[in-house]
Amino acid sequence: MLLIDCPFCGPRNETEFTYGGPALAPRPADPGAVSDADWVDWVTVPPNPMGPVEERWWHSRGCGAWLTIRRHTVTHEITEVRLGR
Amino acid sequence: MPYDVTITRLPLRALFDLKGRAAALEKWCGTALPPFPGRPNSRTEAADRGLHWTGPDRWLLMAPLAEEAALATALRADKVPVDLSITPVSDTLTFFAVTGPDVAEVMAVATPLDLHPDSFPPDGASWTEAFGIRSAIRTIAAGYEIAVDRSYADWFEESLRLACT
Amino acid sequence: MAADPHRLADGGRIDRSRPLRFRFDGRDYQGFAGDTLASALLANGVRIAARSFKYHRPRGIMGAGVEEPAVLVELEGDVASGNRPATTVPLIEGLAARSVNAWPSARLDLGAVNQLFARLIPAGFYYKTFKWPDWHLYEPSIRRLAGLAGAPKEPPERAYESRHAHADILIAGAGPAGLMAALVAGRAGARVFIADEGTEAGGALLNRNLTIGGQPAKDWVAAAVAELAGMENVTHLQNATVWAYREHNLLMVQERAPGNPSLLGRNWRVRAGQAITATGAIERMMVFQGNDRPGVMLASAAQAYVNRWAVRPGSRAVIFTNNDSAYAAAADLAQGGVGIAAIVDSRAAVPDHAMALVPDIAVHAGQAVTSVHGRGRVRGVSIAPCIGGTARRMPCDLLAVSGGWNPAVHLYSQSRSKIVWDKRIASFVPAEPAQAVLAAGAANGAMGLGDALAEGAARAVAALAALGQRSDVPALPETDDTPYTVTPFWTASGAGAKAFLDIQNDVTVADIELALREGYSNIEHLKRYTTGGMGIDQGKTGNVNIIGAVAERQGITPDQVGVTTFRPPYTPVEFGAIAGRRAGPVVLPYRHTPLTRWHKDNGAVMYEAGARWRRPGYYPRAGESFQDTVNREARCVREGVGIYDGAPLGKYEIKGPDAGAFLDWIYTNVMSSLTVGNGRYGLMLTDDGLILDDGVAVCLAPDRFLISTSTGNADPVGQYMEKLLQIERPDWRVKITNVTSQWANATICGPKAREVMAAMGSDIDLSPDAFPFMAFRDGQVADLPARVVRVSFTGELSFEVNVRPRDLPALWEAAMVAGAPFDIAPIGSEANHVLRVEKGFLSLGHEVDGTVDPHDLGMSWVMSRKKDDFVGKRSVELRRASGRSRRELVGIRPLDPNRQVPEGAPLTPGGRKEATEGFVTACVWSVVENRWLGLALLTDGRARIGGRAHVRLPDEVIEVELSDPVFHDPKGERLRS
Repeated sequence: MLLIDCPFCGPRNETEFTYGGPALAPRPADPGAVSDADWVDWVTVPPNPMGPVEERWWHSRGCGAWLTIRRHTVTHEITEVRLGR
Repeated sequence: MPYDVTITRLPLRALFDLKGRAAALEKWCGTALPPFPGRPNSRTEAADRGLHWTGPDRWLLMAPLAEEAALATALRADKVPVDLSITPVSDTLTFFAVTGPDVAEVMAVATPLDLHPDSFPPDGASWTEAFGIRSAIRTIAAGYEIAVDRSYADWFEESLRLACT
Repeated sequence: MAADPHRLADGGRIDRSRPLRFRFDGRDYQGFAGDTLASALLANGVRIAARSFKYHRPRGIMGAGVEEPAVLVELEGDVASGNRPATTVPLIEGLAARSVNAWPSARLDLGAVNQLFARLIPAGFYYKTFKWPDWHLYEPSIRRLAGLAGAPKEPPERAYESRHAHADILIAGAGPAGLMAALVAGRAGARVFIADEGTEAGGALLNRNLTIGGQPAKDWVAAAVAELAGMENVTHLQNATVWAYREHNLLMVQERAPGNPSLLGRNWRVRAGQAITATGAIERMMVFQGNDRPGVMLASAAQAYVNRWAVRPGSRAVIFTNNDSAYAAAADLAQGGVGIAAIVDSRAAVPDHAMALVPDIAVHAGQAVTSVHGRGRVRGVSIAPCIGGTARRMPCDLLAVSGGWNPAVHLYSQSRSKIVWDKRIASFVPAEPAQAVLAAGAANGAMGLGDALAEGAARAVAALAALGQRSDVPALPETDDTPYTVTPFWTASGAGAKAFLDIQNDVTVADIELALREGYSNIEHLKRYTTGGMGIDQGKTGNVNIIGAVAERQGITPDQVGVTTFRPPYTPVEFGAIAGRRAGPVVLPYRHTPLTRWHKDNGAVMYEAGARWRRPGYYPRAGESFQDTVNREARCVREGVGIYDGAPLGKYEIKGPDAGAFLDWIYTNVMSSLTVGNGRYGLMLTDDGLILDDGVAVCLAPDRFLISTSTGNADPVGQYMEKLLQIERPDWRVKITNVTSQWANATICGPKAREVMAAMGSDIDLSPDAFPFMAFRDGQVADLPARVVRVSFTGELSFEVNVRPRDLPALWEAAMVAGAPFDIAPIGSEANHVLRVEKGFLSLGHEVDGTVDPHDLGMSWVMSRKKDDFVGKRSVELRRASGRSRRELVGIRPLDPNRQVPEGAPLTPGGRKEATEGFVTACVWSVVENRWLGLALLTDGRARIGGRAHVRLPDEVIEVELSDPVFHDPKGERLRS
């Protein structure tokens, strides 16, 4: 059960949040201009390291903010939480 | 030995969801609102109106239901400037008062939120999780008030009462 | 009164004025308040108290606490629970217990015949023997014979509670280190949560005769407990085990028999700023042939029985040790009237401080117990020099063993913190914290009492400092504990098939040797192959012995062998305690609409629908079958007028100068061109090109829209829109407000709907020209403020009347009254399903399953060609560029009109046993065609319309005719009427 330090609310239980997937690069401004391979990578190949990873969490039962957090996938240590991207 | 706690389902309140910058909202709403809270997840009160700072650029205005129409007129929800939104949401929440000597016991069952006064001062008001669903909690005399989406109210009340027995 | 051979006349922490009756394996006994079931059984001379897991060997009580490997009991009655070590069950009046693995009793066990086959049940036996043809064939009978307790049959009368707590510092263990840490932290004003598994505080101090500051240690404990009780910032629980250490310093505490008599137990989830593990140490067994005989006991347990419970666990004892702690135990046993035959010490030389404790006892250094005599119980032992030589017999009825001490590093390790081998004490000790955790006292490898007090204080100061609070280490009292030294002695000579490493799971030295021979040398593999350390006791007395035995046999050191992962729970926890009150009627949330009461009062059969809503399925009338009801309700809409409760429909207001652009981006079609008062049906995709949801967007004002979502997707759509906005388009000026619960609707539908609306009274011009299909009007209906939308999910003329939920019952009643002349009837979800299938409208979860795109559903018209981009466009185009065949939506009519096709049934070419070419998504009895018909997704289905396909069932093939998926009113004249 993670404890996520929401920039607005302070430390809150994981049960207040909804996991929102890995933090992807910004969506291409013009998807039509992206190569097929790059598009498939962006949509379907999320980063999955054994170590720090950035991911999105929605404070769905709290302040409603989408957060980006940096979490260690082995220790769960969270070293950064920021609002939005 | 049931906990000495009273659960009361409260009548509807006038509620308005406000979104936008505090300064812009203040300018538009004028004296209809209490002063803006200075701290996230806290509230201010003026007369019988309460203003809760619930999220980044998000606020909840609360008043007795009798003031709903007057407030709607004063806030001119359908004419707000482009970067604000004011939405009547009175019917969305059902409020419960949870009071009594053992209120802390029942709240500890209901929610993982730390309600110690150092973490949740008397003017605290916050969205959080209780019994696994989204809930708004604030302090009142002799206890707490919890609000949940109206559709969950029957289930939530049953859960609260079970926690007391 | 004759002297009781088992119970001392005085002393101990029992209340002789409060006798308690209890029952064990069908016999009645008596103990005292303060006893555990184990101490009371020993006090009654019960030696065989259990049968072993695999071989049904007789077993006696070996421990005094959570380490107990042998005697597990099942409690009956109000406190029913299974697999409880007898040593952890406080005696209460009327307690009824029986041993878990014996029938009819531990003394007379019919399963003991397994002993004769012991050589046929070696390590890996299950894997080798029962893998063909199928393990599940053998599982039930093996479970019955080699099982543990069953779950109680009835739910308990009293409840469990699960609750949350918060602490600056959580301390696990209220022995000397834990109590000292709590005092220091509590005095500094921190929020302290201290929990201890024992029924009273003190830890090992309760079992031993030590002094602190010149006073009996128990007095110091009492004073510490009293001081903590006076601190409002301290929560102190006894009979409460910290059983799990989770992420971010969340610790789980199981409190048994809390003060509240209506509660059976309580589980705490404690979020702690800092955690201090002061969990003590657990004594290891010694490993030799017959080390599981009743009468073999841990030396510390024997010491505890004499000191704490005033019980003599034997009359004549041999002590077998490799360390100093057993000397104090021997002295205490002698003091308690147990004759000590000898101390057998595997070490070549015994330190003077140990010898000084036992001036009158024979000590045989450099010797080891090699075997045990006596069948059902210990009657003597053989000892021999460790370097080899002649064995000699020594009579005794108690063999107290000490193989050294393992710091209880379980919690520390569960936190993912690192532990390392410490040669000094021949065990694993905490090394490197991965979370905010500190270990103190014996749990940290500091085995002396003085060290424990010092570490407890120092860790509290460190924890306070980490929380930003300054404090000082207090002056520490003097103690009289002696030093602890140990020389590992892993297995005695001759240890083999009856030398048990894991007493609970019947894993012997021979099993380990077999596993090693077969190549299972990795400790994690060896654990799973032999099941060593996998029991309820999680190998508390045996795991390190297994590691030592493996190291010895492989000629490596224990740290090279490594340690298996420590996992929660530290001791068994009831599922009920974890669930708490989230059981029975409230186990899952349910959601009601403002009309739930009305539906129930009017005979509706309620269904669990999406997103936890309870909705009416159908409203049967007297004498109607299910199908009669559904047909009647469906016909009512097709021919007259019906009304349904649409309150759960998801609704969001989207406002801002970029609202139109935002909707254009998230819907496949164009919404920004909507004029005020008009709406449009649309699909939302995700960027993988799959369908997320469908719904209607209406324009309320140039910069304000109201969108609807399907019931089940209201929350996911909100999450999705907020994510796109906050993460991908933070610069767009759009505000989203969830108004699902601000607007509830009753939908009036059918050819007579307009008449009913008019009869209800409305200031809205209801004529088709003034209020066309897909238009939106704000106004009054039945004198209630309403937002009316002309959408249709049934294919008929339809008015979705949205009002505030507080007004919905009044609106509904008004519609029932106004509709009475037209025979209006409420419609459940079953009839709705029929109506939408007849119309070929899609339903998420039926036709939309995470593989289809809008083109597959024949909805290419909804995919805008004007927009360069919308979410999902790129992926849909990319997927279709391959030109591969796709499954497409078609209508099906069974050739036999009375033949229903099960929903989900596969379609195969010619009905042959071949790869499926599609499946049936829905099949209903149509009230317009008076026959079964349905929808299916079929490979290249649209090109096959007019032809036939085959539904393949296990014992039958159903031939169906393929058609356009719209069976009713294909031109849409009725819904536009």
